[in-house]
Amino acid sequence: MSGQAQVQAQATAPLLAIEALSCRFGGLVAVDRVDLQVREGEIFGLLGPNGAGKTTLFNLISGLTRPTAGSVRWKGTAITGAPSHRVAALGMARTFQNLRLFSSLSCLDNVRVGLHRHSRQPKLQALLGSRAFQRRERELRDQAMALLVSVGIASLAERPSEALSYGQRRRLEIARALACRPELLLLDEPAAGMNPGEKQELSGLIRRLRREHRLTVLIIEHHVPLMMELCDRLAVLNFGRRIALGSPAEVRRDPAVIEAYLGSAGQPPEAGAPP
Amino acid sequence: MIDATLLVQMLLGALLGLSVYLPLTCGQLSLATPGFYAIGGTLAALLSTRVPALAGAAGSGYPLSSLLLEMLLAALLCAVLANGIGALVLRLRGIYLTIATIALVEILRVVSLNLEITGGAVGIFAIPQPFAEPWGYALWALLLLVLVCWGCQRLAATRPGLAMAAIRDDEIAAASSGIAIEGWKRLAFVLSALVAGVTGVVAAHFLNAWNPRLGNFDASITTLAFVVFGGSRTWIGPVAGGLALTALPELLRPVGDLRLIVFGLVILLGPALFPQGVVTPPLLAAVGRRLPAPLRRWLGLGPAGESLPGASAP
Repeated sequence: MSGQAQVQAQATAPLLAIEALSCRFGGLVAVDRVDLQVREGEIFGLLGPNGAGKTTLFNLISGLTRPTAGSVRWKGTAITGAPSHRVAALGMARTFQNLRLFSSLSCLDNVRVGLHRHSRQPKLQALLGSRAFQRRERELRDQAMALLVSVGIASLAERPSEALSYGQRRRLEIARALACRPELLLLDEPAAGMNPGEKQELSGLIRRLRREHRLTVLIIEHHVPLMMELCDRLAVLNFGRRIALGSPAEVRRDPAVIEAYLGSAGQPPEAGAPP
Repeated sequence: MIDATLLVQMLLGALLGLSVYLPLTCGQLSLATPGFYAIGGTLAALLSTRVPALAGAAGSGYPLSSLLLEMLLAALLCAVLANGIGALVLRLRGIYLTIATIALVEILRVVSLNLEITGGAVGIFAIPQPFAEPWGYALWALLLLVLVCWGCQRLAATRPGLAMAAIRDDEIAAASSGIAIEGWKRLAFVLSALVAGVTGVVAAHFLNAWNPRLGNFDASITTLAFVVFGGSRTWIGPVAGGLALTALPELLRPVGDLRLIVFGLVILLGPALFPQGVVTPPLLAAVGRRLPAPLRRWLGLGPAGESLPGASAP
């Protein structure tokens, strides 16, 4: 490809493109030739029953697991199998289904870890703790604080992350991911363990964060009504395969989806899904 | 009670405690410290006994500039070696890394036991003395300890410290936050080796002789005990542990053979009663509140100073 053509291809390429991505663990095919394209600015949802391969797909994208076949492209450039910290540097940040916070650090420091790549300081100044160094440190603390404010847990800044409730921890993880200044935010079941009120707030929070931080969001969630309301487009996985793709309305009517959720033709998933 | 000789040993113990502490800041339990300590000691013993140019003018003591040069060379050698070895052994996690570092110490011991140049089991004798009195060594070791403590404090107070703490808590989350964990682990391992190597140089001159037994598995366990006893959450823990556990057997001499029992009890009860070590962050915060602000800041205790904007008004 010539230089100009490549620039053009990158300009028109989707933010994230997954082609025929597969991952097998021994005899088990966790992700089976999945194609997806996430466009800039959208909230893209991944639905599917337990064990459908959603989290594995996240792990393949974010560099925790190496795919056995297929490719991942970021703005048109192949990044298949890149290590996690490089993926983060490219502009993707994620949260974890089972919450992975830094338990010995305060909430503020958890977010400051997210700022890692943006907090480099001249080594000599850092060693001597110069005024310039301290000023910059204050700026970084302020930035971290602002993120805690924006997810609504600023009053807990100095608490150890262990002292937080489940919903607060999920928010803290989102703040830490945002500290990486991502273009694409990957949320792995952010509503898990939340009560209905918190789930409702979460959907508002995700929308607001997308606007304020100019984000594209890729989200895994079990709670079907939330996904139908929140997402611009949805893909449905079952047994590692992508069985449906489209707008919430299209996906809801898709016979393959209905069968995956209910076993045979019946009610749409919204009514049949577990609460 | 504590004479200059014991004081030197205590200070060297504190330095070795810090060497074990450094990899622990990113959750890596390395027992390689005595290996690099032995490399530093052997290097100093060889250079000072075999290189006439370092000995200085006849009649006067061993020049300090030569001692300094040996320390620099030991630091360099250990750093280069640790960088190479680290690239290999740090691929291992948890107990497997620890076992690999034990193997490293053992390899170094067996090699120096069988080499002609290191004097085999007898070792190297008559290492020249830069200081006529033990107080000289005590002062020198104290300067070195202050320097290393300062380095550890700056490390903890800056970006590397936060990155290493994140790696210690959760490697996967740290990597996903953009931290190149291999590099930071390697840095901690290299710094640990460097501190051990430099300590070995001072120890070799102080002890006047060097043999392979000084860097064996027993030394691994002893230095580990410094950190287990003192605590590994801040650099103050291993320093306290190194000072206390080196002094204890000597201070207990008056009680005769009972001292071994008392020492054993301390080693046993220490972790049982203080699972995080004697020096814990809450303890430091409590002490920190009573200290003047500049000293507190230097020691890295408690809040760094002014309160955070927004933190007081939620």
